[in-house]
Amino acid sequence: MVNRVPWWLGVLAVLFLVLTTVYLLAPLVVVVGVSVSESQFVAFPPTGFSLRWYGEALTSDAFLSAAWLSLRVAVLVTLSTVVVGGMAAVAIHRRKLPGASVMEALFLSPLVLPTIIYAVGMLMLWSQLFGPVSLLALWVGHTVIALPYVVRTTLAVLSRADPFLEEAAATMGAGRIARLRHIVLPQAAPGLAAGAFFAFNISFDEAVVALFLRNPNLTTLPVQIYGRLEFSPDPSVAAVSTVMIAITVGLIVVIDRVIGIKSVA
Amino acid sequence: MNTRLEDSALVLPGLLLVAFAFLLPIAQMIGLSVQGETGPTLAHFTRFLGDPYHLGVLWRTVRLSLLITLICVAIGFPYAYIAARVGPRLRLWLVLIVVLPLMTSVVVRTFGWMVLLSRNGLVSEAVRELGLGRRNYQVMQTEAAIVIGMVQVLLPFMTLSILGVITKIDTRLEEAARTMGASFLGTLRTVVLPLAMPGIVAGSLLVFTLSASSFVTPNLLGGARIQMLASSIYRSMTQTLDWPFAAAQAVILFVGVFLVLIPYVRVASGGDRG
Repeated sequence: MVNRVPWWLGVLAVLFLVLTTVYLLAPLVVVVGVSVSESQFVAFPPTGFSLRWYGEALTSDAFLSAAWLSLRVAVLVTLSTVVVGGMAAVAIHRRKLPGASVMEALFLSPLVLPTIIYAVGMLMLWSQLFGPVSLLALWVGHTVIALPYVVRTTLAVLSRADPFLEEAAATMGAGRIARLRHIVLPQAAPGLAAGAFFAFNISFDEAVVALFLRNPNLTTLPVQIYGRLEFSPDPSVAAVSTVMIAITVGLIVVIDRVIGIKSVA
Repeated sequence: MNTRLEDSALVLPGLLLVAFAFLLPIAQMIGLSVQGETGPTLAHFTRFLGDPYHLGVLWRTVRLSLLITLICVAIGFPYAYIAARVGPRLRLWLVLIVVLPLMTSVVVRTFGWMVLLSRNGLVSEAVRELGLGRRNYQVMQTEAAIVIGMVQVLLPFMTLSILGVITKIDTRLEEAARTMGASFLGTLRTVVLPLAMPGIVAGSLLVFTLSASSFVTPNLLGGARIQMLASSIYRSMTQTLDWPFAAAQAVILFVGVFLVLIPYVRVASGGDRG
């Protein structure tokens, strides 16, 4: 038999994996470390252990109102992307409409357009048409950039579904609405769910569109953190950031349970 | 016929949204970029292209993005290959290690780098210890800081692109090459690398365009002195309030990205549709 990998390459590979892992996770570990430090200053490794910065963050109006705004926008974006994107994915999947593949490309195009270009255009158009930005502007902006994820996951799940089930249901006398509800919706559900988690995560974590579409009363959590980083970060910023990391970890666990993390890759 | 009606009704809200909230803003931005006091003008573009400062920003953007892309390939390819060839349990962990940072807010990750690269940060101290930098040296606000931070931010895109392609390569091809006498590294170079090329190309174009257009990380790690194109756009939008000039810069970025993306779309639609 062919002998496998030379031993020194194996050693090198292990070393490489360890170094890459450290590199990829270092900034996250550092943020968590800073958040539990006793020190007044942002420093790593942390000195002592204290949860006071979490208390500080939880009593800060700026952080709380930003978190509340981020949460509201993320929930609205999740709902709108799932409804609009899910419906579009079902129609595109059937391939009965002329130009279905053009539509698919159109729905996925916000993925490849740099967010900053979109953010610039959105702010210009919005202020020309409606004046100052509002929650609605942020909702629409985030919906556009999260929509492709829902369309993509739903299309992927539908392509593995049994195409004859709907036909069978039709033969058995099921109406349009009944077929959508009892056949298509359950088939699309895992894709819709995964898309929903992505949409929530993208909207909650997004900084560029939110930076452009901001005003003093419209500051999301990432924008609030960004502002503090430009000005003077203290460990309470790390506490808030750690909460955001925790939410991400939670979402990844849920995605893994719903569709398996492998289908993300 | 009725099915068409149903499908049209399903797709219509999405199409309206994409048309009015995505295509229209881009059209508006392009329109504003050629808007002068007395009609259409290319003045904003000639101003950008005639100014050494702005050309320097553009050149730095291209140069650093290329460097970031190269480093991402150098780390991403071996990582993806190892992840594809280890057992399923370890693979799950390796994928998680890539996905966790990918899904974490860029602002949060940049914060972590700011701590590590600051004057008293671990990285700056290590650089001093190794005698690579002078006393009081800090990595923050250098191009090196941007590269270190950006590679971490964008590496997941590269790794996942390549991993998707490598997992589809038939391992029997590698075994065949080994049986025929090729060394492990020889097999990697003559069999795996060429077959992984679509993933490497797709990942590179993705990383390059994301790098050229990213704003948060370069702006926070590079500081005001070391500007990249996206931070320059942001400054024109929010500080000098020169919107037509911001639009012109965004169009330059848009055209650059578009030129790079044409081959990407080709590779993506030819390569991994199956």
